[in-house]
Amino acid sequence: MAVTTQTAATAPDGAVADDSRGVWRRSWFQALIVLAVLLAGYASARVLGNPSWAGGFPTAVGDSFMAWLDGVYAWIVENRNDSPLFLYFFNYISVGLGSAVVLINQFLDFLTWAGVTALGVLGAWRVAGWRVALLVLAAFGTFALTGLWNESMTTLALIITSVSIALLFGVPLGILAGRSDRFHRALRPVLDFMQIMPAFAYLLPFVLLFGISNPAAAVVTAVYALPPVARITAMAIRQVPEGAVEATTSLGSTPWQILTKVQIPLAKRTILLGVNQTIMLAVSMVVIASVIGAGGLGDAIYQALAKVNVGQAFQAGIAIVMLAIAMDRVTGAVGHGAHTPQIPERLRWQVLGGGVLIVAAVVAGARFLGLGGWPRNVAVDVAAPVNAFYDALQSAIGGFTASLSTWLLDWVLGPLSALLTGTPWWLVVVAAAALGWIFGGLRPALVSGGSFVAIGLLGVWNNAMDTLSQVLVASVVTILLGVVIGVLMSRNDVFAAILRPILDAMQTLPPFVYLIPAVALFTIGRVPALVAAVIFALPPVIRLVNDGIRGVPAGIREAAISQGSTKWQMLTKVELPMARASLGMAVNQGIILVLSMVVMGALVGAGSLGFDVVFGLAQNELGLGLASGLAILFLGLFLDRVTQGRRAPSA
Amino acid sequence: MPRFARKGALLRYLAVGLALVMVSSCAVRTDEIARDPNSVRIALNGWVGYEASAAVMEHVLQEEMDYDVQLVRVDEQPSWQALDQGVLDVILENWGHDDLYELYGPEGNDTVVDGGSTGNEGVIGWYMPAYLAEEQPELLTPEGLRENTDLFRTPETGDKGEFLGGAPGFATQDEGMINAFDMDLEIVYAGSEAAQITEVQRRYANEEPVLFYSNEPHWIQEELDLVKVDFPVYFEGCDDDLEYVPCDYPLYDLNKIFRKGFAENDDLAYRFLDNWNWTNADQNEVAGMIADEGMDPEQAAEAWVGENRDKVESWLPEGYETRTQ
Repeated sequence: MAVTTQTAATAPDGAVADDSRGVWRRSWFQALIVLAVLLAGYASARVLGNPSWAGGFPTAVGDSFMAWLDGVYAWIVENRNDSPLFLYFFNYISVGLGSAVVLINQFLDFLTWAGVTALGVLGAWRVAGWRVALLVLAAFGTFALTGLWNESMTTLALIITSVSIALLFGVPLGILAGRSDRFHRALRPVLDFMQIMPAFAYLLPFVLLFGISNPAAAVVTAVYALPPVARITAMAIRQVPEGAVEATTSLGSTPWQILTKVQIPLAKRTILLGVNQTIMLAVSMVVIASVIGAGGLGDAIYQALAKVNVGQAFQAGIAIVMLAIAMDRVTGAVGHGAHTPQIPERLRWQVLGGGVLIVAAVVAGARFLGLGGWPRNVAVDVAAPVNAFYDALQSAIGGFTASLSTWLLDWVLGPLSALLTGTPWWLVVVAAAALGWIFGGLRPALVSGGSFVAIGLLGVWNNAMDTLSQVLVASVVTILLGVVIGVLMSRNDVFAAILRPILDAMQTLPPFVYLIPAVALFTIGRVPALVAAVIFALPPVIRLVNDGIRGVPAGIREAAISQGSTKWQMLTKVELPMARASLGMAVNQGIILVLSMVVMGALVGAGSLGFDVVFGLAQNELGLGLASGLAILFLGLFLDRVTQGRRAPSA
Repeated sequence: MPRFARKGALLRYLAVGLALVMVSSCAVRTDEIARDPNSVRIALNGWVGYEASAAVMEHVLQEEMDYDVQLVRVDEQPSWQALDQGVLDVILENWGHDDLYELYGPEGNDTVVDGGSTGNEGVIGWYMPAYLAEEQPELLTPEGLRENTDLFRTPETGDKGEFLGGAPGFATQDEGMINAFDMDLEIVYAGSEAAQITEVQRRYANEEPVLFYSNEPHWIQEELDLVKVDFPVYFEGCDDDLEYVPCDYPLYDLNKIFRKGFAENDDLAYRFLDNWNWTNADQNEVAGMIADEGMDPEQAAEAWVGENRDKVESWLPEGYETRTQ
């Protein structure tokens, strides 16, 4: 038994447990008891012939809630161009944003492909050094050679617009939260909410308020990308040494001066890392936003998929990966301040002026030659070889994967879904609360139980239980694979070096690209959705496990070896227990990422909550779509609280 | 530095003042979004037939009439909303949606107008591969299908037969048909047309049974040999109760929907789109080039326009040459 000497989690607060009762105090054992109770409840409900008091949550409240939302929807549609709320507020924003995207796009068109490339490469060189500049050049090269130049520029315009909004709101919010504890406490749950809520679920309300296409896409992307910059800015301001602030205060500075002359300059580097994260999230969201009519690369993928042309989708996916990696390296380098060219202070303006002149010359030259976007016919076609590979893969392992899929459905997904939907709802609520209590304490217990009641009240109980079964199975697969690969990666530097760029690409490749191959291999339904979720959630889990194990101090390792530990003992008794904080975070991250794929999975037949979100979006049924989206959020709250353990301070 | 603080306050007053002026001076309607009068914004719904029409329209508007065309990919229902909000100008291929016409048309918000037929006729129904129907011809009747639903069982549906539903944005009455004809079938919602087609292609390659929602014109009909199940013909009112629909889908006369402002502008782009009218065979030719031969929509449109000059000429409005001069 590989249980560590440090108990996984101690008994809940206030419960005075006797050491001699050992096994009862272990949380895995308590969790097993909860499972046994669930099974007993399921069995007795079946024996009793599933009476209504021992079935799913009654839907009366949920039905009237959905009907009310549908009423709101109808009102908005009828009054969008009459109501002052829209005429003087929402329409301003949507018209402004929609116009901003159009104008930025026109500006990029005006610069021509040569001008944009010159501007991008020179800018990257100035802020991040020549290596990153080469990478940026490679990214622009990819846009051009995949024949997706115009699409890339549209995506870029959308990213610039939405990141600007995210920073415009995120940085001030972060600064306020950094200076006021009360504001910080109020802001945190809101940011949590924004991060757990699956992006798909709030597309519909934003479309309703801001109008389809670019305006809603810009707002949605900004909302999705805002949390990291707000969080990290708050953290950075808080980390500014007390001494520096006090010294300035004693010199008689106003609060405004402290902020602008001390806190922000000292926190600048860290804030820039937050900006980096925000940009990365914006890149991934811009792809999803193609569902509500945002143009660009996401749309190119989406259109290729409509024709079941995996190669073409992959080609656009590569362009996005390059865009993401280039933006990551540029902003990352600005944050770290490394590798910037050494330019003497007195020459800075000259260098800047020279750069501007070069770009202007290139633009003028290109416009004189009548260039615009990169000519489409000068392109390299990778779609054909990718399609050939895809066909070969399908005929090689298609039979095996299809039977694996059957096995998973018959023996894992089917029974678990039956258990969760067939058990009386109040027993599931109690079980959720019990799990929250076992792994977290009183507050998580209340949140968990409350989440399940809320799901019931939303009127989507059965779908939510089915979705939960899928999320649980996908999470277990993700974590098992993640730990195994992470451990292997920590053992072998060569393997790690090969794996790292693959993980980078996996993390930035839009899931749309591998959804269709998943269907081709695993047959339509819940299994391909599960596979896609695992692929999406795996990279961070592998990284965290690897980092955690590599972080174990060498001294402790040597001590264990000198005491004659075998490799297996070393792993199970020393390394994994020492890396527990990272492992816990890996589990939490893995589950939350799997959950964020629920809606995406519905595109390949996962059904349940995700499908209702997609259906609500496609058929303009706000009630059904939003209720299902909120239910996903509550599932997320439950899973997050249970797996966050006691690390999160309750303040 | 008090000067600094005063400057900040001044800025704040300015900002508030500006906001007040903006709010009091003009109410903004959504259709005031920046729009180039030389651009035509076309909704692009998610099937290849539609894309074929859009590609040909785009090609002619762009190459022969010097318009800037934006194709925006959205689902059917949101396209109507986009027309209502003034974000898009035209839906090229509309399948029914009387309810939406009531909401946004002259009787409702009065923001869209019916642009008349595209010349295409739409059929929706239940389809299966021809190899299946050849072996068991009775599968093509509702009664024969009812007897043999176990043929379509899959691990996903357990002891019921599987019916692959269409994309979530499509109009469906499958549930009502299953109830009315008392079939032991369960609908698996593919969630996207692409996923559904991938699954159909996979089963077709393995010669497995499959029963699914599809429509014509559709490129998959050119690629695979499919047959449609014969249900009793649609009659007025038989789909009033979507829980019980004892008939097939209606036939659709596909039409265009214009944003009212775009139609009222009555510029050359509108007149061209208004004149456009072609057959199912025309559309399938372009769609086949895109989906089967993997051509770019632009290339396919160019090829078709090159071969069908006379048709294109008949759609071009009087005086279109003035735009390129």
